[in-house]
Amino acid sequence: MPEFETVIGLEVHVELLTNTKLFCGCSTAFGADPNTQVCPFCLGLPGGTLPKLNEKAVEYTIKAALALNCSIADEITFDRKNYFYADLPKGFQISQFFKPTGRDGYVEIHLNGHSKKIGIHQVHLEEDTGKLLHAGDDIISSSHSRVDFNRAGVPLIEIVTEPDIRSPEEARLFLQKLRSILRYIDVSDCKMEEGSMRCDANISIRPAGSKELKTKTELKNMNSFRAVYRGIEYEVQRQRSVVLEGKEVIPQTRHWDEAKGITKAMRSKLTSANYRCFPDPNLPPFKITAEWLKEIRKSIPELPDSRYVRFTGEYGLPPYDAEILTASRELADYYDAVLASYHEPKSVSNWIMSELLRLLNSTNTEITDCKIKPEDLGKLLQMIASGTISGKIAKSVFEEMFATGKNPEDIIKDKGLTQISDEDTISKIVEDVLANNPGSVEDYRKGKNKALGFLVGQVMKKTKGKANPQLANKLLKEKLDR
Amino acid sequence: MNYLFSSIQQLKEKIRNKSLSPQELSDRLTSRCNSVQEKYNAFISIDPDVISKEIAVLFENIEDILHKTDNLPLTGLAGFTYALGDNIATNCYATTCASKMLSSYSPPFDAHVFSKLKESSAIITGKTNMEEFGIGCSGNSSFFKGVKNPWNTKHTAGSGAAAAALTGAANISFASDARGELRQAASYCGVFALKPTYGRISRRGLLDYASSLETIGLMARNTLDLATALAAVAGNDPHDVTALRSEVPDYISLIKENDGSLQVAVPENWQDAPHLEDEMKDIFQDQLKKLKTTGVKVDFIRLPHFQYSSLAATIISAVEAFSNLANYDGVRFGYRSKGKHLQEMYTQTRSEGFSSKLKKFLTFGALISSPKYYNDYFLKAQKLRIVISDELNNCLQKYDLLLTPTTPFKAPEFERDINQRQEGLPDPAGYYTAATNLAGLPSLSFPLHTNGLPYGLQLIGKKEDEVTLLRAALLLEKENTLAWPKFDF
Repeated sequence: MPEFETVIGLEVHVELLTNTKLFCGCSTAFGADPNTQVCPFCLGLPGGTLPKLNEKAVEYTIKAALALNCSIADEITFDRKNYFYADLPKGFQISQFFKPTGRDGYVEIHLNGHSKKIGIHQVHLEEDTGKLLHAGDDIISSSHSRVDFNRAGVPLIEIVTEPDIRSPEEARLFLQKLRSILRYIDVSDCKMEEGSMRCDANISIRPAGSKELKTKTELKNMNSFRAVYRGIEYEVQRQRSVVLEGKEVIPQTRHWDEAKGITKAMRSKLTSANYRCFPDPNLPPFKITAEWLKEIRKSIPELPDSRYVRFTGEYGLPPYDAEILTASRELADYYDAVLASYHEPKSVSNWIMSELLRLLNSTNTEITDCKIKPEDLGKLLQMIASGTISGKIAKSVFEEMFATGKNPEDIIKDKGLTQISDEDTISKIVEDVLANNPGSVEDYRKGKNKALGFLVGQVMKKTKGKANPQLANKLLKEKLDR
Repeated sequence: MNYLFSSIQQLKEKIRNKSLSPQELSDRLTSRCNSVQEKYNAFISIDPDVISKEIAVLFENIEDILHKTDNLPLTGLAGFTYALGDNIATNCYATTCASKMLSSYSPPFDAHVFSKLKESSAIITGKTNMEEFGIGCSGNSSFFKGVKNPWNTKHTAGSGAAAAALTGAANISFASDARGELRQAASYCGVFALKPTYGRISRRGLLDYASSLETIGLMARNTLDLATALAAVAGNDPHDVTALRSEVPDYISLIKENDGSLQVAVPENWQDAPHLEDEMKDIFQDQLKKLKTTGVKVDFIRLPHFQYSSLAATIISAVEAFSNLANYDGVRFGYRSKGKHLQEMYTQTRSEGFSSKLKKFLTFGALISSPKYYNDYFLKAQKLRIVISDELNNCLQKYDLLLTPTTPFKAPEFERDINQRQEGLPDPAGYYTAATNLAGLPSLSFPLHTNGLPYGLQLIGKKEDEVTLLRAALLLEKENTLAWPKFDF
């Protein structure tokens, strides 16, 4: 069987977190009643369609393009993409065609211990369309549709990759990395399920080793990372079967059917789309000054990649830890804040990755809503290290901190949980335990070392876990070996 | 000519000595507009209630208006009557663009100019008839039929706005100008027209077909009225990013100052215009002679690409119109036809809602912006636009004004002339006017009354320099006697 190489390029649309729309003052809030966040501009009413550019949206686009390592145009244009559709109120979409905001960038992904750069062809700003609400089950069987224009005019950035992606896994990793970056810089919440991040994939296959780009299909309607993975995986397999049967792949737009797990043909794409793009005569070219660019550049925080390098290099964290901790800016910020009060990178990482993430996941809490202050977690870890409390007690204190937000000192004081590290006190308890468990003492002396563990457990039980286990161990051994 | 009143002071006297009641004034105004409508089909909407309401407010506030000097450019228009072309949005009147597509459309907002005029205590007499969507000046595409020329009803008036200004149905008419429509109609009707610099008047609320070329302009029966009205409506509008940010000159005081002799240029090949009438040639040459005797210096200069301006403007405007008018799809407003599915509803709606002339124009726009023709037509037209603009701007660095006829011919006769001249791509009526739209320059058409239908003399000024145009028009007013027709209403 011939070997195939998969070639994938993605077009990702991301809604920006501006308060108002791209060319009018309407709100962008998600979930309002249909057609309540509209004005003459959003509806394309005759005489009401003069656009007024929201410069915040341009700023966010520049920020995103910079974070994706693009070069930024010193002047951008807004151009009309002309086509008719019921969700497009003006009969054209204002987008950027001739002078997009960013070009020639890349995103780095980590796969099986290697890193790979996925090229970004361009980043541009455009208006979103309205939303069609189809009667019936799906677009194909629906008898009629209603249109909600609340979304019409919401600023979107479109990120177009080079055809550098070679597998469904790479596509998923790319999208996750992209989401992580865009959330770091706070320009979008990138929720695929709510539609604030949408992804179309251009997919083709070619004989391994070939450099030629073969006929592609465009895959739409993938509403989660999982759907992107599954959709592309299915489509690649479908194209393989087509080619292996000796047939040609037909250029078309295909629809991912999540329930059935298949892709369906929607429309053919015989010629390249004819959108008759031309500069919008109502919007003069917009200059991006060097000063503004400098200001925006300064506002970009440390991004996941440089954090990853810092965490693995400076802190010596394993790549696995660094990857997880840097995936979200908030988590990485949290980690850095804990380190500021207790500088033991690996042990802090262990606690966050095991205990904290476990509780966050099981209670469905975001790190930003976590009640434990980073410095309190640092204090707790400090107390374990110094032997003030045992690891076991620390876990219950931690759970209390997570539930109430109290600091560890108060919890320990209130519950009298301070570790007993006084030799005399433990010594007395050890005597008692030895007296009450002659069988185990006998076993130990016969060489059954396991018996020691039992006896330590008894000491801990008597002290409700507060005895310093190392000390208990040491004293027991001394007395047994005497 | 029987004006309602010649000045606000005179009106105030009449109101004070009670020789004129609001009722009387609104009755006379309404009856005049109705006559102009019946005779010439100049209006699409006239609403006597709106007229009498505005007059009542004027009478109530007359003392205030005259003493309030802090609001001067606006109150300068108090008591003036005005009409708006039906592609300027008004909430109280339907705004139809003279198209079946919008025959029942009332926008939920007012155009920027209309809001300003409402503040000014001027009185709106109605919405004027025009070519469908204000495209061209040929008199054959209005859904409400053509406007007859008050000088000779066999000929087109070009627009209802021009007819209204001529007949006193309005002191000022506001209408749009994308390739010269405003100035051409003014020339056909023998009234003054000013197309200001692109961006001088906000385009907010103008239902434009060619956004990069089109501005709102004004018509009147004298220079001073033009200046007064321009001062009232000009100025920056934060909602129109193409509006000029610069300070509006104090037109009324500035035009009265005379700062020495003018230097005027004329394109040396001005006689090459297709369909240029001999009578126009003679009249134009006469005007040049007259100007020279008053001390104006006239030079003939080379403007090699001026002759292509109508062609370039036609191509650019057709592409913009194709896009600007894409919102007329029957989904959200206006005329809607039936169809088995969305595509068919679109096709039926647009087939039935637009005139055949407009459909040809839009189809042409779609065709020349398609990948096959984009570079050879649309892109070339855009390059021509830059070349033509540069030529004009260079010439106007050396000269105060550029002078041409406004149109090569007088008002065309319905059917006959119009059909003959529709051949070919560039609009022959726009031969002289389209260049200023391409370059965004201000331009004024001065009326030249003859024994028959009038002509127009076009003055083109530097960017943002309407003052020089208005000064020159004042000078021409002194040199020319205007023979206004008599009306019996």
